Amino acid sequence: MLKVKAGDLDKMGLLFERHHRQLFGFLFHMTHDRELSEDLAQNVFYRMLKYRHTFSGEGEFKTWMYHLARNVVNDHGRSLKRNIRHLDIEDFAERIGGGAMADMPLHKKQELASLQQAMSKLNEESREVLILSKFQELRYHEIARILDITEGAVKVRVHRAVNQLKNIFANIGD
Amino acid sequence: MKCDQDKEQITRYINNEMTEAERSNFELHLAACTECSEELEAGQQVWNLMGEMPAPKPSADMTIRFQSMLDEYKGSLVEKKNPFANLWEHLKQLWVLQPRMQLAYSIVLIVVGLGFGYLMNRQGVEGNKEIAALSSQVHEMKEMMMLSLLENPSASERIKGVSFTSEIKSTNKEVVDALFSTLNNDPNVNVRLVTLEALTNLASDPAVREGLVQSIIQQDSPLVQSALADAMLKLQEKRSVRSFRKLLEQKGLDTTIRTKIEKTINRLI
Repeated sequence: MLKVKAGDLDKMGLLFERHHRQLFGFLFHMTHDRELSEDLAQNVFYRMLKYRHTFSGEGEFKTWMYHLARNVVNDHGRSLKRNIRHLDIEDFAERIGGGAMADMPLHKKQELASLQQAMSKLNEESREVLILSKFQELRYHEIARILDITEGAVKVRVHRAVNQLKNIFANIGD
Repeated sequence: MKCDQDKEQITRYINNEMTEAERSNFELHLAACTECSEELEAGQQVWNLMGEMPAPKPSADMTIRFQSMLDEYKGSLVEKKNPFANLWEHLKQLWVLQPRMQLAYSIVLIVVGLGFGYLMNRQGVEGNKEIAALSSQVHEMKEMMMLSLLENPSASERIKGVSFTSEIKSTNKEVVDALFSTLNNDPNVNVRLVTLEALTNLASDPAVREGLVQSIIQQDSPLVQSALADAMLKLQEKRSVRSFRKLLEQKGLDTTIRTKIEKTINRLI
């Protein structure tokens, strides 16, 4: 990224190759919308180009990427569907797309759909830390830097989020 | 036994955020504490299920869009650095984009248009002559009509005739004479007033001014006298003062008119 900042814009392609899947994953889990996620990811990469001078080089590129991604999601935030009231399996499989769930047994699909529904009922803060720590497989110290909070606070948030999810999921299952 | 362990450790354990020492410590505790191990199991279950959540793959389209965005962005940077070179590029592109046949067509169209316009214009010069001849004919006709209307016994018809003069631009002597004879001799006050107005509009002609001044002493109607006083004031015609003085010498002049004329004289001098 420092090379991009120095004006070598072709290096941006390399960064895209390396990180776009991860970024897309994050955006998808945040929005549950494939098309929208691709648009937003595009937007994130555009901002990287436009604001490349703001990249300090101190933190990791990934941290900066998530910073921008969160801003993009927030900017878009008002029009997002906050709460999925009912999510049937077909709809869920379709959202995931690409036949990723085709081979799963029905009960597993059902279970995952319920989990998805439970996740959508979490508040934004909890959902975000779960996505970052579980789906994006980031360490606590990385999440702390992305969210600009202490590692201790991340610990508390993740724990709280897991408990909330557990409770909501148990209620949906019943 | 009441568990005094920090519950956050469970999540950290699940999440693999513990150091080796913390881990073995916690595992020891788990073996002894059913509360914690139950909670761990429940948490682990959700956690593992989340792990099974399929992550969708972005479409290949995304890479293409990114690449085109990057190219476009690089293009926009070049544009900022060198606007003129870029303008030239744009022009060249325009040339490429415009198929040559289309360009040829448009040139032919322009030439045809110009030629046609030129021909029309030449015809127009001849046409203008005709129009001029026609309009002078109409003009004459209007004059004729006006003159004949002024002879009409009906007062309203005569007023109509007078009003025609506003449409006649040039002051024809015949017309002016006819108007003056109406102003001085017409039995109807209204016709005379309208005539006076028409003549005032023609006052750029010195003969008309002269005639108006002459007309002052010939008027016997207070209304026309008053209107003439106004007209003279408007035209700033100083020669009228003498005529007004003569008018003042007349006996039986309306008192209102007398004062008005005196005022007019004062303002004119």
